[in-house]
Amino acid sequence: MLLRTTGIALAAALLLAPSAPASARAGSIRGRVAVPDTPAMAPRPGVADLTARPQDHVDRRRCVVYLESGPTLAFAELKPGRTRMDQKGEQFVPRVLAITAGTIVDFPNNDRVFHNVFSLARARSFDLGRYAPGRNGSVRFDRPGIIPVFCDIHSHMSAYILVFSHRYFAVTDEDGRYRIDNVPPGSYTVVAWHESLPADTRRVAVPDGGETDLNFTLSKR
Amino acid sequence: MLVTAATASAQTNGPPYESARTARVTGGGEFAGIFGPPDDIAFFNFTDYESNALRLVRLRLFGEWRPAPRLSFIGEVRLENGRNVDLAALYVRWLPLASRALEIRAGRVPPLVGAFPRRAYGRDNLVLGIPLAFQYVTSLRSDALPRTIDDLLRMRGRGWQPSYPIGSSELAPGVPMVSTADWDTGVEASWRHDGFDASVGLTQGAPAVPVVRDRSRGWQWSGRVGAALKSGFTIGASAAHGAWLDDDVAALVAAPGVDARDQTVAGVELEYGRGPFLARAEWLASRFSLPLAEFGGTELTLGTQAGYVEARYRVTPRADIAMRLDRLTFSPVTGSNGVATSWDAQVDRVEAIGSYRVNRHFDLRAGWQHNWRPAGRVHRRGYPVVAVLVWF
Repeated sequence: MLLRTTGIALAAALLLAPSAPASARAGSIRGRVAVPDTPAMAPRPGVADLTARPQDHVDRRRCVVYLESGPTLAFAELKPGRTRMDQKGEQFVPRVLAITAGTIVDFPNNDRVFHNVFSLARARSFDLGRYAPGRNGSVRFDRPGIIPVFCDIHSHMSAYILVFSHRYFAVTDEDGRYRIDNVPPGSYTVVAWHESLPADTRRVAVPDGGETDLNFTLSKR
Repeated sequence: MLVTAATASAQTNGPPYESARTARVTGGGEFAGIFGPPDDIAFFNFTDYESNALRLVRLRLFGEWRPAPRLSFIGEVRLENGRNVDLAALYVRWLPLASRALEIRAGRVPPLVGAFPRRAYGRDNLVLGIPLAFQYVTSLRSDALPRTIDDLLRMRGRGWQPSYPIGSSELAPGVPMVSTADWDTGVEASWRHDGFDASVGLTQGAPAVPVVRDRSRGWQWSGRVGAALKSGFTIGASAAHGAWLDDDVAALVAAPGVDARDQTVAGVELEYGRGPFLARAEWLASRFSLPLAEFGGTELTLGTQAGYVEARYRVTPRADIAMRLDRLTFSPVTGSNGVATSWDAQVDRVEAIGSYRVNRHFDLRAGWQHNWRPAGRVHRRGYPVVAVLVWF
């Protein structure tokens, strides 16, 4: 339900867009997202595995902050590019990826074992089949939405790709900090998203050429 | 002002992100409901007299406790048909080297022979049945022996309940070529480097009769090597040797100085995946030794070979079609009529299914399996089957 709601919100971005005068200078929104100190995502035990999995690395970049309503002409400003989501140590790296619609994502297998990346998301379902270490598979994401990504061979592997119809979003860093630049002055609804926590929504006013601090605290309700 | 308050709130919440703890407990499970027709006459899919691999409800629960980064305790409990509760796995996993290239396991550990027994992902079985090599019960029993070749030949195609004049007189199923119902008990070590891996094991029992407490002398040696190639191929070879026959039964027949109670298994496996296509093949050969009273307690060697080829095509991210061709053959022996006959009846099997992935954790499958066997009460039989697979 959370995924569906957020996906619709992303798709509706253009309809809710405010506009700014042509002479206005862009501003920024920055801040930090705090989440509960919960244990790292627990992998499913590999009872029948003959070689253990090196999974000590925990990717702490788990939150995405984005404008629920983008500025007018935001879609026209889109410059879809190409980015990557690696497979290392039987994990997806990064675990959360935020992109604009039309972006191509490479899924290189930089692991020691075969992988099979797939998603059953309504916005973009795909299955890259099995491929060996050193090989790559690619998918183009044209529709906004949240795409859960899995490996068909390793049940403990999962990741998320958030596809936006504008470019006003940021993935938090390892300290939970984020920064969204080049935001035209105006009033916006800003959302902080986490894969397993309810999203937090705030209203914020971005001044002409200024910076706005906006912090979030996500928690289980 | 609002911003300042929010910042203070965030800072008092402790670390903003998840901490990487070394000690942890993880778990998971699988549920399989496989619904085929009842079969009290042909027994093609029985793993023992009461368990039909195409007609079962099975719950697997597994967990891992990792008190230190390179040490963990792993266990699995299986509940089948609401009555058979089995501690299928319970072992300690230790990674003595910082590089993690070497792994040592002790306890009730995964078998090394063959590839199929270690398919951990429940839906990784491309169809629904178990390959003949790992499921079909032959007419040999570890607790009873034929007196003559004719005794053995009379049990052809009756592996679900063979009976013999020497040893146990209780009704019991025969042994499969390699058992997947139980795991081995002992110690294993695995080493890997890039796409190459090698393992050796010292456990109790034999591939056909893995046990917790050995009823026969000696240990089972097993080993395997494997490699994942960049071309998309995965290849592997494995072998095992152990005592399959109970000591007290062998002692009733064996001539002085004759030690005929071992099983030797060797196998090779191949997997190839490219895009929506996945193919696997596996071949195993086994040799059972047993003392035969008719020959004065000297050794009789019975050979078995099994192989299967299976393929899956992913039509869409949610829909698969898959098929397996499977064969189990037995070496010839000569009875009192002077005619060479295979010591058990050859079995051929074809199985095809369609699978629909409702979501990541929920599969629906439907298919058909057909079997041929030129002995026993039923020589051919087909089974429609539907299944629900859930994992968490």
